[in-house]
Formats: sequence, structure tokens, C-alpha cells
Amino acid sequence: MSAGTIAKYAAFSRISATQAGRERNELYGRMAFFAVILGVFSSLWRAVAEAGMPVAADPKSLVWYLAATEWILLSAPPIHLEIQEAIRRGDVVYRLGHPASYVLAEFATGFGLLAVRAPFLGLTAFLCAFAFTGWTPPLSALLIVVPFGFVASTVITALYLGIGLLAFWLQDVAPVYWVWQKLMFVLGGLMLPLELYPAFIQRAAAFTPFPSLLAAPASVVLGTNAVTPGALARNLVIWSGVTAIAVSWMFRRAVSTVTINGG
Amino acid sequence: MPRAAAVELDQLSKSFRVRRARSTGVAARLRDLFSGETQTVCAVDKLSFSIAPGERVAFIGPNGAGKSTTLKMLAGILQPDAGDVRVLGLVPSRQRRQLAFQIGTVFGQRSQLWYQLPPRDTFELLGRVYEVDAPEHRRRIDALSSVFDLGTLVNTPVRHLSLGERMRCEIVASLLHSPRMLFLDEPTIGLDVSAKATIRELLWTQSEQERVTLLLTSHDTGDMERVCTRAIVINHGRLLWDGPIAALRRSYLKAKRVTLWSEAEHLELTLPGVRVLSSGAYRTELEIALEITPLGQVVDAALRQTAIRDMAIEDAPLDEVIRALYATAATGSVPS
Repeated sequence: MSAGTIAKYAAFSRISATQAGRERNELYGRMAFFAVILGVFSSLWRAVAEAGMPVAADPKSLVWYLAATEWILLSAPPIHLEIQEAIRRGDVVYRLGHPASYVLAEFATGFGLLAVRAPFLGLTAFLCAFAFTGWTPPLSALLIVVPFGFVASTVITALYLGIGLLAFWLQDVAPVYWVWQKLMFVLGGLMLPLELYPAFIQRAAAFTPFPSLLAAPASVVLGTNAVTPGALARNLVIWSGVTAIAVSWMFRRAVSTVTINGG
Repeated sequence: MPRAAAVELDQLSKSFRVRRARSTGVAARLRDLFSGETQTVCAVDKLSFSIAPGERVAFIGPNGAGKSTTLKMLAGILQPDAGDVRVLGLVPSRQRRQLAFQIGTVFGQRSQLWYQLPPRDTFELLGRVYEVDAPEHRRRIDALSSVFDLGTLVNTPVRHLSLGERMRCEIVASLLHSPRMLFLDEPTIGLDVSAKATIRELLWTQSEQERVTLLLTSHDTGDMERVCTRAIVINHGRLLWDGPIAALRRSYLKAKRVTLWSEAEHLELTLPGVRVLSSGAYRTELEIALEITPLGQVVDAALRQTAIRDMAIEDAPLDEVIRALYATAATGSVPS
């Protein structure tokens, strides 16, 4: 990829980051929601531990685990909504006519939003988790979670792009997103580490991208050493490749659908 | 066809496969879910025309005539089923990217401006997208902002702009990379009279100054008359008429509108081919079918009744000319 091409897509990221900076209320809303979620769950884990009920992991670690998974998920911008609206309104015709790849332009746009949200939400996660637990995981764990979590958010953004492309066929992608979100919650181990799930769910989850995107990077804060950085990197590279191929294929199909069926 | 044409279409055709209309009843609906029966709809049917560089052409047709499909094929967004198309010497479906650098598009009901940001941010993004040298691009933004009288609008968030202001910015956005050809799809839709006049004037001026070829679709005949010199009329994807707008009027203008201001309060004109549109207060408005009764005969008849203080003779509005053209096409008797 030439410097000019990189500059072209970087411009999409820059303008969407600028727009994200102007839409601060949405970000503040996410930060507040994040703080509430962490507050509720830290109280819950504390209550469970105080009641003498068996908890498979240290309650403080579980709060940090949740902070990591929520940070990864909330940082990924829901670009499928923008794509869906552009397809419905017909504004997509402008992007299709530009001398730029539609898929890369949309992805770069999402990445710009992610680049603004991730630091703010990451800071919220750190401050809230520390405030609610009075403890932080080792710096070495955080240095693994942050970069891998950011890459996982980037892959989730690409998956949202794929969901958005479905609007070329479905017009309304909300049902698909809803199913995807629930799968992410369950198979990704959003609230609890997958190790606490029944074995059959763990086995099913292993065939999906969800554990690699949420549970695996977040579980580093548990200090169980269940996932090595090498395995994390390998899985993220594999799922990034699969996502890129799937999204490119979907876009080609979408364009041919428009050509065949009009729109 | 001239070799140096900006646009050349030769027997261009495009069909779409669409789902058949849904059946009624639960069982039929369930069957529809699985059968997915489709039918083929011909959107563009062996369409041929060419446009010379610098021409300003109105592309006219009723809803569903195939105008937007043709524009999308010209921009390389849709691939034709048959026939040849060249825009600025390039084949749009195969050389879309190269062509994109040389054409601009304006879709009246769509937007390419970032809604929360000032237009300048979109303009700067487009500079990168079209790979324009940065200092040159800044000069171009300033020059077009001046021509389109954007002033402080370039730094005002798009959400605060009126529709007319936004459309001026949309047109500037489409001209920033100095395209040789501009496709406009209803650029004045929804604008007030004053904003429409401004947009038309600016389009005309810009095309004159930079020799930009314009292909404009609109249902507003004012756009066609004030911006374009030639009209291409299509219906059901087929060419109905192609020629100067003045000739379109002459070919289809079977009637003139005449307003007479007379000494007498009312005029009684019962001549064949003469229809009184309004009468009273010393003013009579007539529509005269010239093939049946010549204008002079009508004026003579009026003068026999009273003195005529003033008279205005107008062509029928272009709207009516086009309606007549569609009606004639429906009966299959369009003159060549």
C-alpha cells in the first residue's frame, strides 16, 4: 500500500475522529454506563464472597475482567448503524463513486471513532475498577490487555462493518445485530470467564471468534496464565484474516446484488 | 459518433431482477418465503446518444424511466447488460476508479457532507480521496468558496445550514477535484425559488468558465431551461427525443398562450382551436392551437370587437411540452 493510499484512508479515520470529538455526549453516556456496570458487578461479587458462596475466581479479578471485556466491546463503534442508514438513504452512492475502496473507507471511518473512544473508556475502566476494588492487576498483565484488547476492538469494528453490509439485502440489520450481541455475551464470556461455563458451551465457543475477542485478552488480568500472548496474537491474526475475507466477499456480493436487482 | 465525445452510449441496456408482487393469503405468503419468484424489469433499453465536451444536457423522463440507472452506469456504479458506454474515453464499469477522478456527482436528495462537521472538513477529506496536491486543493477550496459565495458557511457545521446553503456546499464538494464531467440528479429538489435560481446560475457559470460537461436530471423544467441547451428525453428506458430545448418546444408546441388586455371588459372569442383559459376585468387569457387557427385570425376577431391595449404571447410552459411528449410517446407517434 503506497503512502498516498495510506494517507487517503487515514483521512477517513481523522475526519471520523474529529466527528467523534464533536459528539462527546454519546461518549460521556458510554462512560457513565460503564461506571454503573462496574459498580453494580463489583458490589455483586463482593456480596457473593461475603455470603461465603464459592466464587471460582478472586472477586477483585472478576471486576477487572469485566472492566476489560466491557472496554473492548464498548470501544468498538456501532458503525453498522451508519452504514445501514447510508444504504437506506442512498448516500452510499457517493462513497461507491469515490476513487477509494468502500470497505476500507468504512473501516477507516470506524477505526477513527475507535481511536477516540478506546482511550476515554480505557481510562474509565481503570479508574472505576481501581475505585471499586482498591487493587490493580500487575502492570505486565495490563500491558498485554491494552494492546490485544485494542486489536480485538478493531476486529469487532470490522465485524460491525460486515453486519452493516447486510443492509444491502435486509435494509434493517437490527435483528442480526441483536443475535450477534447475544452470542458475544454468552460465547465471548462478557460477564464471566469462559472457564466458569459448562463444558459444552466452552467447546461450542471455541469454534467462534467471540472468545478470542473478549474472554482471551481479558482473562490475562485473572493471572491464570491460561492464554499466552503468542496464542492471543495468533488467534487475533486468524480472526482478523477471516473477518477481512468475509467482509470483502460480502461487499462483492452486495455490489453484484445491486447490479442484478437494482437499488 | 464524434470520437472526442464526453459521453457515448451505444445500444446500452440494463435489466433488473425483482421479486414478483406478493400473493395474498397465509398459504401463498408462506410459499413466497421459499419460492422467491422473480421477474425481469427492463430499466434501460438500447439507449444511444452522445454528448460533446462542454455541453449542458438535460436528461428528462418520468419516474422509473431509467434516468438514475443510466447515470449510475455512466458513473461506473452499475454494470450494463449489453451495449457500449464510454465516458471521457473510459469504460465506466471496467475503469471506474480512473473515471472517478474525472467526474463529479451531485445527488439532490443525498449528501456527502459530514453532518456534524463544517463543510471544510469534508472538502479536506475529498482532497485526500481524489489525491489532490494539498496547496493546490486549498487554493481550489478558496476559489470555489468565493464563486459559490460560501463565506463563513465553510466553517459552519452542516447541521446548521439551510438546504440551499447545503446544496451549494454539495456542488462545491463535487467540483473540488476539477472534474471534466458533472452528473447532477435533481440538484434543486426541495429548494425555494431564490435558492434554485442561485444554484442554476452557479452551475451555468461554472460550466461556462471551466468547460465542465453537465448531464442533469430533474423534474423541474426551470433547471433544464436555465442551465441546459439540449434535452434528451427517455421513457421506459428508451430514447424518445434528443435535441435542443428550443427545438423540443417547436416540435411539441401545438399551442400558444395569448393574453389580451382590451378596452371592453369581456371578449367573446368562439373560434375553432381557441380555448378561453380566463376572462374578465379587461383581461382575457387564451390558448390557441396554431394548426387550427392562426394567431392573426384570433387577433383580427378580437379587434373587431374592441380595441386591444396590450398583448402578450407565450409558449406553453415546458412542463406541458414534456407532458405532451410523454402522451405522444404512449400512442407511439413521436416525431423523429
